[in-house]
Amino acid sequence: MNGKHDVWELLKEYQIPVLPIVKASSLEEVIEVSNSMGYPVVMKISSPDISHKSDVGGIILDINSEEEVKNAYHNMMDTVNQKVPDARIDGVMLQKMAEPGIEVIIGVKLDPQFGHVIMFGLGGIFVEIYRDVSFRVTPINSEMARDMILEIKSSPILMGARGRPAADINAIINVIIKLSEMLEKNPDIVELDINPLIVYEKNAVAVDARMLKNEKN
Amino acid sequence: MTLKAIFEPESIAVIGASSSPDKWGHVILKNLLSSGYKGEVFPVNPKDQTILDRKCYNSVLNIPVHVDLAVIAVPRSYALNVTEECGKKGVKGIIMVTAGFSELGGEGREIEKELVEIIERYHMRLVGPNTLGVVNAHTGMNASIISRLPEAGGISFITQSGTLGLALADWTMEMGLGLHLVISTGNKANIDDVDLLEYLAQDPNTDVIAMYVEGISRGRDFIKAAQRISKPILALKTGRTQSGAKAVFSHTGSLAGSDEVYSAAFKQAGIIRVDNIEDLFDSALALSVQPAPNGNRVGIISNGGGASIIASDACERLGLTISELLPATQQKIKKLIPEFASAHNPIDTAGLAKFETYNGIVRHMLLDPNIDALVVIYVHTIMGDPAQPAQAVVDIRRGDCSKPIIACWMGGTGTEQGVKILKNGGLPNYPVPDRAVEALASLVQHHGFLEKVKI
Repeated sequence: MNGKHDVWELLKEYQIPVLPIVKASSLEEVIEVSNSMGYPVVMKISSPDISHKSDVGGIILDINSEEEVKNAYHNMMDTVNQKVPDARIDGVMLQKMAEPGIEVIIGVKLDPQFGHVIMFGLGGIFVEIYRDVSFRVTPINSEMARDMILEIKSSPILMGARGRPAADINAIINVIIKLSEMLEKNPDIVELDINPLIVYEKNAVAVDARMLKNEKN
Repeated sequence: MTLKAIFEPESIAVIGASSSPDKWGHVILKNLLSSGYKGEVFPVNPKDQTILDRKCYNSVLNIPVHVDLAVIAVPRSYALNVTEECGKKGVKGIIMVTAGFSELGGEGREIEKELVEIIERYHMRLVGPNTLGVVNAHTGMNASIISRLPEAGGISFITQSGTLGLALADWTMEMGLGLHLVISTGNKANIDDVDLLEYLAQDPNTDVIAMYVEGISRGRDFIKAAQRISKPILALKTGRTQSGAKAVFSHTGSLAGSDEVYSAAFKQAGIIRVDNIEDLFDSALALSVQPAPNGNRVGIISNGGGASIIASDACERLGLTISELLPATQQKIKKLIPEFASAHNPIDTAGLAKFETYNGIVRHMLLDPNIDALVVIYVHTIMGDPAQPAQAVVDIRRGDCSKPIIACWMGGTGTEQGVKILKNGGLPNYPVPDRAVEALASLVQHHGFLEKVKI
């Protein structure tokens, strides 16, 4: 009910740009998909029982050749089997390695008093350590989305601090207002994180996302 | 439906009125009779013939004339019956002081449901239950257990906590703050924050709305209602943490505690969130007597350097700018201060606090297009006369200049004379610069909301 697949489809439905992700259930399939995607690729374990993949060796980045794909696949299966022997494994997910950019996180929470709330912050330490994030109650228009982006303390990083190119703020705004639209139509979403959304000089792309829906519905 | 019957009733029944001074039914009746309320007040209690020299009725049904409002302070077991009688009598508004409802959970919650059912069946409106009452300082109606009536003014205060509300109301009296309505909402079973905002938006005596909030139920309606109100709304929200967090699935889930969400919602609603009680009323005072500035550029004048530095630091901390004055303004100010003193903002008069000094400087600064608001400081000395600079500021004919002025007369009892002049002149005064600047920051914030958030 809260599978990877659901959230990815939903994001695509609302024109939120996502980095394609393809499931492969055998080594042959893994190789075929990787070759057709083009290197480098990222491999992630696919299991309904594992939510924190990196903790159990379930994510391998920067895989550059068919040879490396084979090794990565075997290593991952061995490590995951060792660390969580009871987990059901239904293969791996493959994604082309995203070009480096600025990582941001955009999330959703259903608040008991105010309904859906969208959060914005820069990824990594800015969210985890400094809790440098901003919130708005939906519905959110583009002006409000811009305010919430500029409101975080680390926003100068997006504006191109220290001679770096500025990130595409409009692309982030677009994701926020599309999410807001999505929530109007999907009141059963309890939590959702796009983490990270990688932002470039032009465009932005969601690399990973998780969603929790209200199971009663 | 109008809430006027509750806030401006023409007649009031006190159900559960009592002759024993330790009962709330006694306190409320006494408060109503002694506060200058012009309407009729009827004690209701089957056990007494008269209370406080008033004829006492055994039921609201036996009062021979129409009753707008009933204040109910009976034991909980009688609450539903007397409410039903009020419905039959055609009473329009109820203030239910009686406690023991949803705040207790369980059975109390069920009884509250029945209470609301009766209220709705008879098309009445209800404040409470579990409220400490309602005060209207303008009509002299003290339908509460607050010990005395606040001074009449433009601030209406909504408080969810009863006892804290009482303490706060008392505190405003100490401050000499002018209030209009004080509403202890209690359990908000029928009238909640959204209803109250909508009422106060239309209420001509309310200039500023101050709220003490623990929780809000109709969150989205609340945001919408507040957005439609251009009057300043200030909120002190407590309960910063939410316990019983479940295992958190997402980053957002773990970071979006209820407090963060309230902050966001208040911002979206154009509500100024304050951190403590002092800020709530300091800001309410400034907002009730001064206009919002058009921007955040502040001019400071003081007869002592230290105080103006403290004020400047506070401005910077709160995102206000100490802007440079026009050369022409500086020229004019130079003529009013000693030669060695500087005519740069913040202006330090080097001890001078004469009428002409303050009057001239304030006038020139108000006329300077680089200035949106003024903080005028007077530091008392034994030779000083706090009345002169106060009169000087108050006397300035504002004409079409609507820039706010915030006063800070420092020096305690010695400044009383000046403080009185300021107050009568509609200038909010604070004993220390930080508080003056905090209040000014709220004015600036309100201006921002008017431009951006308010519909």
